[in-house]
Amino acid sequence: MNQAATSTPDVFAQRSFFATPLARSFVTVVVCTLALLVACLIFAPSAVSWGAFSGSLPFAAIIAIVGLGQLLVVQQGGFDLSLPGAVSLAVVTATHEAHQNNGLLFYAVFLSIGFALAAGIANGILIAYFRLNAIIATIGMNALLYAGVFAVCGGTPSITTTLLADIAGGETWRIPNAVLFALAALVLVSFILKKTVVGRRFEAVGANPFAAQATGLRVQTHQLMAYVFAQLLYCMAGILIAGITREPTAFQGDSLLLPSVAVVVLGGTSLLGGRGFPISTVIAAFFLNQLSQFALAIGVPYSAQTIIQALALGFGISVYSIKWTVNLTKKNQTNGGLHE
Amino acid sequence: MNNKFKKLALAATTAVLALGAASMAQADTPTWCGPKQASLALLDGYGGNSWRQVTTASGKQTASLCPSITKYEYADGNGDTQKSISDIKGLAAKGIDALVVFGDAGPAVLPAITSVFKAGKTIVPYRVDVGGKEGENYTKFIGSSFVNDGETWGKWIKGVLPKGGNVLFLSGPAGNSQGLDELKGLKNILGAEYKFLNAEPFDVTNWDPALTQKVLTAEIAKNDKIDVIVSDFGPSLVGALPLFNKSGRSIPALATSDGNSLGCFWTDNQNDQNKDFKLFTVATGNDNVRLAVEWAVAKVTGGKDPEENIFKAPAFEDSVSGKPNAVQCKKDLPGAIYLSSELPAADQAKAVGK
Repeated sequence: MNQAATSTPDVFAQRSFFATPLARSFVTVVVCTLALLVACLIFAPSAVSWGAFSGSLPFAAIIAIVGLGQLLVVQQGGFDLSLPGAVSLAVVTATHEAHQNNGLLFYAVFLSIGFALAAGIANGILIAYFRLNAIIATIGMNALLYAGVFAVCGGTPSITTTLLADIAGGETWRIPNAVLFALAALVLVSFILKKTVVGRRFEAVGANPFAAQATGLRVQTHQLMAYVFAQLLYCMAGILIAGITREPTAFQGDSLLLPSVAVVVLGGTSLLGGRGFPISTVIAAFFLNQLSQFALAIGVPYSAQTIIQALALGFGISVYSIKWTVNLTKKNQTNGGLHE
Repeated sequence: MNNKFKKLALAATTAVLALGAASMAQADTPTWCGPKQASLALLDGYGGNSWRQVTTASGKQTASLCPSITKYEYADGNGDTQKSISDIKGLAAKGIDALVVFGDAGPAVLPAITSVFKAGKTIVPYRVDVGGKEGENYTKFIGSSFVNDGETWGKWIKGVLPKGGNVLFLSGPAGNSQGLDELKGLKNILGAEYKFLNAEPFDVTNWDPALTQKVLTAEIAKNDKIDVIVSDFGPSLVGALPLFNKSGRSIPALATSDGNSLGCFWTDNQNDQNKDFKLFTVATGNDNVRLAVEWAVAKVTGGKDPEENIFKAPAFEDSVSGKPNAVQCKKDLPGAIYLSSELPAADQAKAVGK
């Protein structure tokens, strides 16, 4: 009891210490995005045209959804490298098991959700209960999931059903449906994280599992759920990709791993875990996607496109690092030093 | 008695049929199939797409035409250069006499190929240039003339757009030699009145439908007038082409390689909104492997060398002239098969699995 009482001020100090720079990071992401949009208007107006948006926003939505999944895992101080396998498995299950037959689509979707749950629970048990390193456990899971991909489809692409193509690739009130799905995922994740008891506990566990354990929270259950919900989000992204691209390859998830981590970092969530920023993460996904559209629209060679994206990412991340240290010193001076 | 007679008749018929079949098989043995018995292996650098599976099935079927081939093996490098190299060496060490290699990794697999060749095996790399020389590093290289593909497309484009126009050329990974050769072919035919809208030398898509869609989105937004799209992997465009309609434009003319899904897409999109949507395809080239297998078998069994040294993909569909074929679509079969392939569509459907 006595111990808990003395540790309380520390927890509060840590919270306020976290709050200031991270709120700034939200501002940073918004400012960066606006700056990019202005740059697009000046140098590549076609990248901000309606046609470009309606074509590219579905991909921003995909990055946003996998980013939200990765966010949950990062909040628990982990990394989910099983994302490529998970997305690819959802893609091939949704296309192959439906056999281009709308009637079988729901079966295929439920099957992929089942796979996602199984993979998430397995990841969670390995990491939360058996204390395996998250990176190693999820790399192993990724290989397993790819084995699943080959079992389902033998590595070949198939064509999605017309129903899924209409749902995932269509538009409602001129907004791509994939964007609506991403917004729904965002509302759900934000609401649960920020407005429910479970969500608050989840963040507390991520910030300091030992303190959370001491206060009687079920640390392992919360960590496990991070991996389960992450898998469900990857699964959602995979099913959407299947519909958007109509004839997806069996390796569609591979190109999403890096962006998923990038948007979490750009969104200002600490890789050490704790407080998460779903809205910033989604804005960062839009930023990243717009950046690649910008690079495509100005028509530079492919090599330069890659470099532009890498530079922008490096810039974004370094902006945070610089502000972090500034705030750290300031706080250390005013608070009399947290790290003494 | 009666029963006995029936049995006898049955036995006689069976014997006659068997003899007939044997002599027919004899008659059907192709000239490239010699008398010497041998084993053959097909090695893929990366076997994970439907094109490769149809190709693999085609190679296997070709090998099965020659009764002298007693054993047939297949290995997939899974896109891993190290594994491809150890596959080549491993199968040779296992005693396989002839190897047909899709050297995805290019010159990186040449040392392995050379060592196998030096060990006295017949080895035929095909389609992807691995460097080296015939008779020194390998038995024979069976390339595919991508310049020829480019020229075939160019001629068609000249036919549908005689006054010139805006061309958008999409290919796979940056700097891939297939795309560069195709561009060479296109430029051989198309003069300065044809303006290439893409970044030099081609827009990079990695043959990935998602990236293709992003690239096409940017190009559509940037260019008000795209007259013809040239792509060396037609089916990857299927998800992206509706973008034209979304911006209130007709899908433009398309010169590409064939695929069932693409043919069906064209068939489904013949409406007022898509007045300019003409389609021309060259065969995707699954049959490239057949020529390579024929050469390998000829060399290892002592058969007659095939006449062709390089695979030239024939034109396949033309929505304008209907020659050599009108656009093909088999709705009841998977989208990921290639009707241009010699392998019957039903066998392809089996090869690409579920």
